[in-house]
Amino acid sequence: MSVRNYLSALLLSLALTLCLLPLQGDLDLSNAALLYVLAVVIVGCRYGRGPAIFSALLSALLYAHIFVPPLFSLAITEAQYLLAALVMLVVALLVGHLTASLKAQTEQVLARERQTRALYDLARSLTASLSPAEVESVSQRFLANTLRAINIRILRDEEILLPAAPLTKALLQSAMVGRHLLSSTGSHPAYSLMLVPLMASANTPCVLVCEIPVALAGQPMTRALLETAASVITVALERTYAVEVARETELRRSTESLRNTILAALSHDLRTPLTVMVGLADALTLGKASVERERSMLSALRAQALAINQLVTNLLDMARLRSGSIELNEEWQPIDEVIGATLQLVRAQWRDREISVDIAANLPPLRFDAVLVERVLWNLLENAIKYSPTDTQVELIVRQIGIWVDVMICDWGPGLPTVGSEELFGMFKRGQAESCIPGVGLGLAIARGFAEAHGGQILAENRLGGGACFRLRLPIGSPPNLDDLEGGLP
Amino acid sequence: MSLSQSILLIEDDQQIREFVASTLEAEGYSLIKAASAAQGAVEAGASKPDLLILDLGLPDRDGIDFIRDYRAWSATPILILSARSREASKVAALDAGADDYLTKPFGVSELLARVRALLRRRLLTQEQASPLISFGDYQIDCVRRVVTCKAELMHLTQIEYRLLIVLASNPGRVLTHRQLLLQVWGGRALENHQYLRVYVGHLRQKIEANPAQPQHILTEIGVGYRFQP
Repeated sequence: MSVRNYLSALLLSLALTLCLLPLQGDLDLSNAALLYVLAVVIVGCRYGRGPAIFSALLSALLYAHIFVPPLFSLAITEAQYLLAALVMLVVALLVGHLTASLKAQTEQVLARERQTRALYDLARSLTASLSPAEVESVSQRFLANTLRAINIRILRDEEILLPAAPLTKALLQSAMVGRHLLSSTGSHPAYSLMLVPLMASANTPCVLVCEIPVALAGQPMTRALLETAASVITVALERTYAVEVARETELRRSTESLRNTILAALSHDLRTPLTVMVGLADALTLGKASVERERSMLSALRAQALAINQLVTNLLDMARLRSGSIELNEEWQPIDEVIGATLQLVRAQWRDREISVDIAANLPPLRFDAVLVERVLWNLLENAIKYSPTDTQVELIVRQIGIWVDVMICDWGPGLPTVGSEELFGMFKRGQAESCIPGVGLGLAIARGFAEAHGGQILAENRLGGGACFRLRLPIGSPPNLDDLEGGLP
Repeated sequence: MSLSQSILLIEDDQQIREFVASTLEAEGYSLIKAASAAQGAVEAGASKPDLLILDLGLPDRDGIDFIRDYRAWSATPILILSARSREASKVAALDAGADDYLTKPFGVSELLARVRALLRRRLLTQEQASPLISFGDYQIDCVRRVVTCKAELMHLTQIEYRLLIVLASNPGRVLTHRQLLLQVWGGRALENHQYLRVYVGHLRQKIEANPAQPQHILTEIGVGYRFQP
């Protein structure tokens, strides 16, 4: 780069000389000197101090050789010619130096302005970042853009204890103890390793580590930039840590309250059937009841046990939903199959309840997890059966409506409370707070959770003429085209 | 007949072990009890039972591993007992070679029905297999490759016929989606459960009186299908 600058300076001086050569006799000496000085200014502007000085010396030589009599000789006979040549040299040197300084200063100002803008952008992006990971990625972008840095990382906690090469524990320690920027050899000879301690908060020491080109690493401006950036990043990190801590506290609090509600529900809804079971078992042990009475007590015992099983299933489903660890085992399948299978289970439990089924023809296949949709349908059907008179019919209707397939489960019961039907979907919420109908009020919350996991919805409405209607709404995706499966088979 | 039939029960929970054992003994089966997989393996080798009832959640060994090892040398039917909401492990156990499953809690009638079905099937397979399979009003002639309903010829496609044969020759047994895909389509379509669902739908349309509430091809949600003759 610099050699080329000197070469350009040389070429410019030679070109000027060649241009002036035909005018050798006619051109006034002072004019020729001015033209040379102009050339030096140009070189100073374009190529900086070194080439300018080089150009000044060269111009003085050429001037003395070609224009100062005797022509084509460096021997200067008269004192005034010598003075002219010397003045020309001094002027050229001075002008060249000044021009080059000016240029360097301008460049520095521009560079500083660029950095200020970059820092401003950094600060703005950091304000918008919400997590430490985001802060890290914003910082990475900034350092890569401004300092051409590579391998940029923000190390914290355990990463500081187990540093990867070229980092060492000692380096990190001294950076953190010294609380100032530290540089060392990078993984590549052209790069220096920079360590900037970020004292985000007393108990979470962090270190910003990056590798930047050696040429940049030496400059004081780079250090200043890194230090300023580090302080901006520190503030952002501190803020995001605070947000994280707040979020964790909130989560812990809501988990705590969930646990309390579950415990309260369990103590009520589990104790009731358990009390009945203990009583029945004791009564049976006494053996004083008639055979017929014993039989009915045994079937009550069984019913209570199944109720507890249902409760446990719901609690487990809820725990799965709340922990956010639902893995959908989704497959394209017709909805009628899972409806048929669910109805079989429901009919086995409520033998004498009439359930009418009306499924539209030519429904598209849907993508869902059959086990979860079975749980949704079971919960909705169980509700419909429990909350409506035993002599009324429960209706199950399936229709395609726009981009949805709706499974509607309707009853002829008292219907939903007109206000706050949305409340029903909360956990441990029931239409009536205390009622003789067993259950904890988890069914709808689970149904909604599972439906939403599929990108679907559960809607509740009252039907005309009384009764409630719950609607499981599943999206129709774009099912894959099936090849002609018969073709190509032996 | 049932006097001579022995059942090996491997279950670590004592209460369940006693309840299942007393139920089955009352029905005239002879019971061998084991509380761990290791003990179960020894008993299985020593007494060669007619049926194995295995709890999937044993403390000393993964039940699926146990099934694989056992299947290496024995074709004795296996009935697994598993907890709810563990479809994946049920499917894995069935794929490994188990024949049927019961989800806890289960009732006596369910248990007895499964045990009877598995033992009956064992007898059937020990007898000379017949090329004629009958269920309901239907008869399948595996030699002539035709299906008749009340002596009337039915039109089934190649795939439908194959699917029906696989299902009908395993009456009462749960076949997983994977097993069916493998047996009907070969290895090509293992991931494509939709094929299976489409063809089960077609087959139900043809052989079920009410395809929405099937009597023969029953859905085991999240697991597979069971054929009920």
